[in-house]
Amino acid sequence: MTILALNRYVSPRVPLAWRNLIADKKRLVRTSAGIAFAVLLMLVQLGFERSFFDASLSAVRELDGDLFVMNASKYRFGTRNPFAHNELNAIKKVTDIASVAPLYGDWQDFFWTSPIDNKPHLVRVFAFDPDAPPVFLLSGIADQQAALRGDDTVLIDSRSRRFLGMDGSVRETKLDGEMVYVVGKFSLGPDFMSDGTVIMSDRTFAKFFHSTPATLPIEAAVIKVKPGEDLSGVRQRLTAALPSTLTVMTKPELVEFERNFQAKLSSAAPIFWLGALVGFVVGTLISYQIIFTELSDRLPQYATLKGIGYKNAFLIGSVLRQALLTGLAGYIPAWFLCLAVYRIIGDIALLPLHMTLQVTLMSLALTLGMCLFAAAIAVRRVIAADPAEIF
Amino acid sequence: MAQIVGFESTPTRRGTMRTLRVSAHLAWRILVHEKGRTALALAGVFIAILLVFIELGFFIAVPQGGMLVYDHMRFDLLLVSTDYQFQAQPWQFPRERLTQAASATGVAGATPIYFAGGSWQDPGGGLRLDVFLIGCDPAAQPFAVPDIEQRQDILAETDTFLVDDTTRSIFGPLTTGRPVDIDDRRMVTGGRYHLGTGFLGIGVVLMDEANFFRVAHRSRDPVNLGLITLAPAADAGEVAEQLRKTLPGDVQIFTRDELTAHENAYWTTRTSVGLIFGSGLLVALIVGLMVLYQTLATQIARNLPQFATMKAIGYGDASLAAVVAIEAAIVVVTAFFPAAAAAMAVYALIRSETLLPVALSASSVAAVLAATLIMSGASAFLSISNLRRADPAEIF
Repeated sequence: MTILALNRYVSPRVPLAWRNLIADKKRLVRTSAGIAFAVLLMLVQLGFERSFFDASLSAVRELDGDLFVMNASKYRFGTRNPFAHNELNAIKKVTDIASVAPLYGDWQDFFWTSPIDNKPHLVRVFAFDPDAPPVFLLSGIADQQAALRGDDTVLIDSRSRRFLGMDGSVRETKLDGEMVYVVGKFSLGPDFMSDGTVIMSDRTFAKFFHSTPATLPIEAAVIKVKPGEDLSGVRQRLTAALPSTLTVMTKPELVEFERNFQAKLSSAAPIFWLGALVGFVVGTLISYQIIFTELSDRLPQYATLKGIGYKNAFLIGSVLRQALLTGLAGYIPAWFLCLAVYRIIGDIALLPLHMTLQVTLMSLALTLGMCLFAAAIAVRRVIAADPAEIF
Repeated sequence: MAQIVGFESTPTRRGTMRTLRVSAHLAWRILVHEKGRTALALAGVFIAILLVFIELGFFIAVPQGGMLVYDHMRFDLLLVSTDYQFQAQPWQFPRERLTQAASATGVAGATPIYFAGGSWQDPGGGLRLDVFLIGCDPAAQPFAVPDIEQRQDILAETDTFLVDDTTRSIFGPLTTGRPVDIDDRRMVTGGRYHLGTGFLGIGVVLMDEANFFRVAHRSRDPVNLGLITLAPAADAGEVAEQLRKTLPGDVQIFTRDELTAHENAYWTTRTSVGLIFGSGLLVALIVGLMVLYQTLATQIARNLPQFATMKAIGYGDASLAAVVAIEAAIVVVTAFFPAAAAAMAVYALIRSETLLPVALSASSVAAVLAATLIMSGASAFLSISNLRRADPAEIF
């Protein structure tokens, strides 16, 4: 048998890397478990990093508008800094606007008496006119806003932190000492500032400030543009019609505005990036150990292949392929396991932990990167393998 | 050789000591034989321990951040409303309770602290930022912060405040003399003090009561916190018990230890912090265990022929297990100290990035050392099962 014939035998038809991988099933389970752990560590950290932003952005993402008018001095969406009610008239005069709905909000003044401990807890409050077009996309708000027409009625967030008791069967409780009646629930979730959310009509909201909806300062005007109209044209006309103390934002700009604030002033992101980096380093070490042991055990076989004429390039290729396969063998179970972990932690911590394409691709790239990196270091042993010395 | 034969067969104490000494010697020889491999194992264990330190740092960072401002206040007992949640949501209680508390035996003094949320805006316009306002009586020396204590005369000036020097850069320069509109009232920056904002907000300013009442539209009554200091001989627990009996039910009293426990519980159970970093810590421990196990198992696998040979010439499983356990312990202890040193550097980075007061206390170092020794014991135990399989007849 010539080397050429054997080459045809081993190289294209016999997937050496694959055969090596599945040769010892027990070992395969052990190695993929090791790598899966490192992958899971990275996935969880990357997931936390994302969910932190998602939690802070969830409220603005659920707003149902094309354009938003807010005070120009607002440094983030979640702070009370309203503008005068009569500015609405100027907005309404701008052409091609289908609807304008005022949104009221408060993050510092409303205390919800929890049915669990009967103590007041700070909550976030949004308010709007229940007869106006919806300002929230979220189901449970948009389809239940008619129920808010009654006096002192509220919708509450069933995903609020548990100590607020909003997930139970609470029918009525006190808000800032005034009785309020729960007429429905929605599912939004807390962020890192607010533990829970209460939604009410503009009339009920105004009562807390001893005011009326007609004079109540507005946190944001939620504007819908007539179908088919050019958004940037309407935006330009709005900006021209309004004083410079007000700013006009599109929905993506509003989300970006809030994201920028979080990125600049919060310290959570670097913590989770550091966590993902640690996962990568640990994963590289684990992969190196696994691949090195694997190569050491098969050194006589690699030396034999070399002895019968295979080039280093072929063997290196085989080792790298096997490293990639090992990485995948760890990645796939870790990915599925992570879905369960996200679900459990998301439910307990009330965090919007979701598997996304971005997290999947990033963690996959990191996993394959760490396996290749580890194999590239370990493969020197194969290159150095001397057929004459091995036996 | 005679010495080695004696290795197994003397069940006396002296024999056991000798067995251990021989095992330790062997473990050491294995480690120094292949220095490259040992260095790699040390690196792996180093990373694993560092990971545990980092996750532990994050886990304690948040509660420590929550205690930062209390840690710089002078009090033996803290008087708060029964509705008290945590520092930034303290609720309020009648000022009369402070007078009542001050007249109790063992109490040296009682002074109020006022909190309010406010806005910060440059007189020229621009962003209207949320700022946390603290009002106090500087003469009562409620803060153990030199920058505050040395500026009593500045605090006494009308419409003057001091600003925490970790107030975020978005607030602009924190220079003395800069006019700022606090809640739309023109005030002047009287200077900076070094304490830290904790979780009170992204900016904190401090002023004396008179200025605070004017800007926050508040009066002397009600108050948010009551700082009670005790007479030198008084016992905090006893006075607290006494005050609980005599004061009306609208207030509660914390000793310093009780307050720490309460704030820690708030941050770890009421927020997602405990879960996020608690799970991180758990994962770190598991990963650390796995790295240790992998390292040891690889070492054993590589030396399996040698171990089998030793078995063939009469060494028992127990003495070989001791070799592995000692090997593990040497690796872990050697990797521990550089890992602790690296953790200090990482903690310094966390402190500067997050402004949270993460510190490596002696007890946390000891806890990590204990955890790693347990992990090394567990991984030695797991890898010893590989050793039992070392069948002299099969190996060659």
